[in-house]
Amino acid sequence: MDSESLTQPDVQQEMGIALVALQRRNKTIQQIKIAGVWVALVAVLTGGLLLLHIEPGYMLQHYNIILQGAWTTIYVSFVSILIATAIALAGSIARLSSNSIAQGVSGFYVSLLRGTPLLIQIYVIYLGLPQIGQQLTELGFPTIGRMFILDAIPAGILALSLNYGAYMTEIFRAGLQSISHGQREAAIALGMTPWQVMRRVILPQAIRIIIPDVGNQFIAMQKDSALVSVMGVWEITYLANRYARRDSKYMEMFLVGAAAYWILTIISSWLQGRLEKRMGRAYER
Amino acid sequence: MSADTIVRVSDLHKWFGMLHVLRSVSLEVRLREVVCIIGRSGSGKSTLLRCINFLEEPSHGMIEVDKVKVETNGKGISTKKNHRQLIHDIRLQTGMVFQEFNLFPHRTALENVMEGPITVKGMNKADAVRIAEFNLDRVGMLFKKDEYPLRLSGGQKQRVAIARALAMEPKVMLFDEPTSALDPELIGEVLNVMKNLAKEGMTMLVVTHEMGFAREVADRVVVMADGEIIEQGVPADVFNSPQDARTQALIERYHSGGAR
Repeated sequence: MDSESLTQPDVQQEMGIALVALQRRNKTIQQIKIAGVWVALVAVLTGGLLLLHIEPGYMLQHYNIILQGAWTTIYVSFVSILIATAIALAGSIARLSSNSIAQGVSGFYVSLLRGTPLLIQIYVIYLGLPQIGQQLTELGFPTIGRMFILDAIPAGILALSLNYGAYMTEIFRAGLQSISHGQREAAIALGMTPWQVMRRVILPQAIRIIIPDVGNQFIAMQKDSALVSVMGVWEITYLANRYARRDSKYMEMFLVGAAAYWILTIISSWLQGRLEKRMGRAYER
Repeated sequence: MSADTIVRVSDLHKWFGMLHVLRSVSLEVRLREVVCIIGRSGSGKSTLLRCINFLEEPSHGMIEVDKVKVETNGKGISTKKNHRQLIHDIRLQTGMVFQEFNLFPHRTALENVMEGPITVKGMNKADAVRIAEFNLDRVGMLFKKDEYPLRLSGGQKQRVAIARALAMEPKVMLFDEPTSALDPELIGEVLNVMKNLAKEGMTMLVVTHEMGFAREVADRVVVMADGEIIEQGVPADVFNSPQDARTQALIERYHSGGAR
């Protein structure tokens, strides 16, 4: 064996390593540049606001008030997304079933809840339902009547769950339908019942497809939960509004509130990314 | 009907809308027999196979597997009330291998094979692992047991799929064009596994375009055309002196290299 044939592969490998290193370096430089643009944008906005006599001191004094509200926002949207997911799961299976009652009910639900504004749904549940409760009490059903009178937070959670459940029913339906028919056939041929096919084969695969959309819905919901402030729930938007009015510091307080939502969604996006990566384990080459 | 008949199909009809794809098909398979069903695309051979384990609901006729009998009348409705239970019983006696493998992508090779015993038979995990490893070894895939299907070649996927069907310990194996989706160089490993199964005495119904395999391994070759069985017999007879003109054309194409 001569020396050339021995060194040749080494030279090729070195070239490969150098190329990969170069690609990595270029990518890092690109990322630093993008981060620089973000910092510049924040600096320009901050500078502009300072020129317009926005008081950073006031903002710093009141950030902890927003923090209190953040817990309510997180709590309301987290519970709501869980309930909405359960509704969506049931709703999507109903929409895909051959049972005409299940299909009819789920189709009606999706159409009604997607076809009306969330704000009106909140008003109907919080202000409208007690009216029905009143009627029922007068008719002699006080126990059932009382169930129609909801506190602000349960009313908000119910409205958000029902509203998002409708959108997510369609997301789940698409996810379930995306699993190839062959998967179902293989499971049936093994002797699985329809319920086993759903639980063991279709759902675990569909969830991976659905997760990014559920994440998006969760992020959207954190901000839509601001609407429950109309019922006087002490969440971020309500508190920001309250102090803004009291001290006439509208820009300051709403900026602090907006920043709180922004930080929440950044954290949620990060968590979503990690979850997606974990769910995709079987699909990495 | 002889005493060791394991699969019996009688006067089977199947319509897809207005399309009459099976026209009074009758077939009997004996225990340990290897039957290859050949025919052109659209001849109804896959539909026949899929009717046997009710992946397709027969429109009319009788299917019997291991003494479990399901009769369907002309309206496509079973004449018996415990229809679903009987179909379930038949599916437990038949293992199915698909053209497109249909492995569960979210489960490893081992988990794919364990799935049936655990979910359908309610077996505990330790026993299921033992059975799965035994059957993966049987198809030469034990060395890839912890890989996800995405990381397996087509031939490897199909071998795992065969192990998955075998793990249910079926009386009959149904193969629906098991090598048609494979690259030519991967067909051999799957056919070898199937040959070994035949040697072990497994009853097999194989829908295939692999004439070489049919000729070498089958006890009987069944030729289908236009939704009917037009000819059947031992491979030597069918391949060397085909009676029907359509069989002659099929064999002709094979000899001239037109079909694999």
